[in-house]
Amino acid sequence: MPEEAKNKRLTDIGPHDFHDYLPPVIKKNYGKWAYHEILDAGSMVHVAESGDKLYTVRVGSPRLVSGSFVRDLCDLADKYCSGYLRFTTRNNVEFLLEDEKNIEPLKQDIAKLGLAAGGIGNVVANIVHTQGWVHCHTSASDASGVVKSVMDDLYEYFVEEKLPAKVRIAFACCLNMCGSVASSDIAILGTHRKPPRINQERLLNLCEIPSTIAACPTNSIRPDTQDGKQTLRINEETCVFCGSCYTVCPAMPIADPATDGLSIWVGGKVSNARTKPTFSKLVIPFIPNDPPRWPKVVEAVKTILDAYKEGAESGERVVEWIERIGWPRFFKITGFKFTKYHVDDFRLAETTMNYSSHTRL
Amino acid sequence: MGKKHETPLLDELKKGKWVSFVREIERAAEKSERTEDLLGQVEQSYRDKVTHWKHGGMAGVKGYGAGMVGRFTEFPDKYPGVKECHSMRINQVSGFFYNSDVLRKIAGIAEKHGGGLLNLHGSTGDIQILGLRQDEAEEAFQAYAELGFDLGGGGSDLRTPSCCLGQARCEFANYDTLKICYDLTQAYQDEMHRPLFNYKFKFKFSGCANDCVASASRSDMAFIGTWKDSIKINQDEVKNYVKKLNVQKYVIDKCPTKCMWFEEDNLVIDDPNCVKCMHCINEMPKALRPGDEKGASILLGAKAPLVTGPRMGMMFIPFYDVLEDSKNNYEWLKQLISNIWDFWDEYGVTRERIGELMQRVGVVTFLEGIGLEPIPEMVDHPRSNPFIKFEDEEEND
Amino acid sequence: MTDETKKRLEDKIIGTIKEYTGKKRFKPIDIVKEMEKEFSGDGLSKAEIKGTLKEIMDGGKLVYGYAGGSYLAIPEEGN
Ligand code: HEM
Ligand code: HEM
Ligand code: SF4
Ligand code: SF4
Ligand code: SF4
Ligand code: SF4
Repeated sequence: MPEEAKNKRLTDIGPHDFHDYLPPVIKKNYGKWAYHEILDAGSMVHVAESGDKLYTVRVGSPRLVSGSFVRDLCDLADKYCSGYLRFTTRNNVEFLLEDEKNIEPLKQDIAKLGLAAGGIGNVVANIVHTQGWVHCHTSASDASGVVKSVMDDLYEYFVEEKLPAKVRIAFACCLNMCGSVASSDIAILGTHRKPPRINQERLLNLCEIPSTIAACPTNSIRPDTQDGKQTLRINEETCVFCGSCYTVCPAMPIADPATDGLSIWVGGKVSNARTKPTFSKLVIPFIPNDPPRWPKVVEAVKTILDAYKEGAESGERVVEWIERIGWPRFFKITGFKFTKYHVDDFRLAETTMNYSSHTRL
Repeated sequence: MGKKHETPLLDELKKGKWVSFVREIERAAEKSERTEDLLGQVEQSYRDKVTHWKHGGMAGVKGYGAGMVGRFTEFPDKYPGVKECHSMRINQVSGFFYNSDVLRKIAGIAEKHGGGLLNLHGSTGDIQILGLRQDEAEEAFQAYAELGFDLGGGGSDLRTPSCCLGQARCEFANYDTLKICYDLTQAYQDEMHRPLFNYKFKFKFSGCANDCVASASRSDMAFIGTWKDSIKINQDEVKNYVKKLNVQKYVIDKCPTKCMWFEEDNLVIDDPNCVKCMHCINEMPKALRPGDEKGASILLGAKAPLVTGPRMGMMFIPFYDVLEDSKNNYEWLKQLISNIWDFWDEYGVTRERIGELMQRVGVVTFLEGIGLEPIPEMVDHPRSNPFIKFEDEEEND
Repeated sequence: MTDETKKRLEDKIIGTIKEYTGKKRFKPIDIVKEMEKEFSGDGLSKAEIKGTLKEIMDGGKLVYGYAGGSYLAIPEEGN
């Protein structure tokens, strides 16, 4: 490329080096932390082998934020912790303080901004979620609105420690599962229930036939001809409404306002503590979309959480509690209906049946 | 100033105690006309109960096949501001550490070149800037580059690696997650920006079995911290815990391998039987600490449901000495990664993740392909079905 | 790789994508494999082909598309 401009163009420089953003107390004690203590649901202290202390104040964020929100956070960080802050994998903000005396005033300023400190320890952590109607074309529901409605209702569980163990809730608006819902204590998942509709005109322009056919996990897409032109046919008997074909072929929209909605899953866990990681399991196959506040979804999450709080022993994650009492009792306690949809008849079916005479009667 | 679009349904979501994303979109809209149109479109989705983003259409910066996602409204006449509403992924700092100075600048660029809205952060880890037009992409990209930030992954490529905050603040971390995440991201810039794979590939790094970045359920190659020698016990602190916690019930009885017990007042651990699950250490962090010979286990093949079903990562490398290999510029690890990618290149098909490839060709074929020997740590138990495909040249020894 | 071979390789890659536009979407690795076969007589390595493809992409003569997975495409007019 002879042009001058092109030589100056920066590419492949990679991410910024993290060392530049570590507060001095972390630089000094890197890899030499001794232990930590949770002070309350919004703050904790990490103590280094040297005796140095680092105080963390965690604050819930909606993840989708404005530039002004970012500047609000920055102002607080400047005021209380020399500008140092970080984010967690669950979209919380963490202020990194050296002076314990700053915790309370910081929390007061946080409250003034309408934000909540919390999410540490045996509480409901912030809900990991996806784009929804705000930014995605595949979504079966909105993401931020459902999350906001659920968090409004569970607010007390975020700001105060009062559950048997951590509860991780996640939301994804379609089976692509951009949020890691597959292994959460409670998962809310956008669900389509009708096969994609084929737009014949756009099909040939926009889609490659073989890769569209190959996209289907159930071999439900077959080549066909209509009026002498190449097209596709969907076997509605076998389609599982996953939307994989739409990802590959924009001429097969699957979203349908009349039939889209949400399903609820529980008992996933990704940590290896005690028991092995495991996926979330279906408890409510379908709840219709009911914007702006999705009351039935909120109620379902609350029902699960209340039953868990009531029944679980200290230290038991949702899945450990359910496995102790058994799934039949979980359905009885929550009042959720067990249906044919709860029996796995897809590929992995054989692994989810009860191959024993063990049963709680 | 009057609102451009009435939003009665979204206004409902400004009520309640939890911080409101609607309020955030509004705040961005105060400075950005196009974000007013975003509000209008989202309100319409709430009314119609369906998304109004169109599928198809491209966005990107020259030379890269990653780092931007194209977004176009179905109603360009009604919502001209979001006729193009692309998102740009900015590779986050390892461990999500920032300072106020750089965050203000990041937000400033998002306001100048985008709709003033950000995701902090996306599920994979990037900072996402929402609402760019294609004609501003290059300028935004270069503005971030001047700050020392580059675009993240996207498409059929190495997705932006991410890690837990590890040794920066966590006493449980068994290796330097931030460093290996940063080093490998730098080493594989080409693989991140120019998609050459069958589908996406993810690395995630967690410092211990608590797996705070959920690597085991969503990364093709998950690094989970562990140790080889004995858990360090501070018996005095154990006694302190005994005073306030039912250690027998909540710690010892829940050890998955029943490898700890009391002898008199002293806690004893049968370390060769410990599976490094972290439970006892989580419960008594002042009394128990991981050993000294630290490293990571490597699990392969996790993924979300599409295309053929969700998978958890499978144990392939029980112990990888991260620190030692980092001194050699990760030579051993890079060889393993290159073997995996070569095998995938050769035998994978479009949109097939590594886990699905393993399932299709069989784990043993995969192991041979990447040059690893089968070992008992890889299985829960040996096979229980007798349909064994013996090979001719196999000799009995 | 000689300049002459490189020119042929470039033309062949871009020509193949042009020829198949609307019929088949080549993902980058497919075109690399295809060229490995096509140019087997010239003894080109996979790395050399990947390098040439990278230069084509950096020069903007081809662009990346995305439909569930990444593929190579001719740039649209006006971009
Ligand atoms: C007392 C022991 C523990 C400590 C000190 C601890 C510490 C932390 C820290 C520092 C983070 C933020 C990490 C980051 O953003 O990269 C975190 C997040 C997380 N931890 Fe732990 N952890 C502990 C136990 C556990 C356990 C037992 C589990 C699971 C059973 C767990 C699951 C998670 C998850 C899912 C996250 C993401 C949450 C978020 O970002 O808000 N942790 N933990
Ligand atoms: C074209 C449609 C899609 C869009 C717009 C989209 C968008 C996104 C975005 C914005 C993220 C967060 C990225 C980041 O933080 O860097 C993400 C993550 C993710 N996407 Fe998608 N995605 C799409 C299709 C898919 C498909 C087809 C799959 C699976 C087959 C998928 C699976 C995931 C997963 C599992 C994550 C999270 C991974 C992690 O936590 O590391 N997405 N997606
Ligand atoms: S989960 Fe599905 S609908 Fe939601 S953002 Fe991801 S791809 Fe889009
Ligand atoms: S929605 Fe899924 S199952 Fe149905 S045709 Fe498309 S790819 Fe196949
Ligand atoms: S994964 Fe382990 S080392 Fe990393 S932050 Fe979580 S508890 Fe700490
Ligand atoms: S780490 Fe887990 S397996 Fe090891 S002793 Fe502690 S509880 Fe038992």
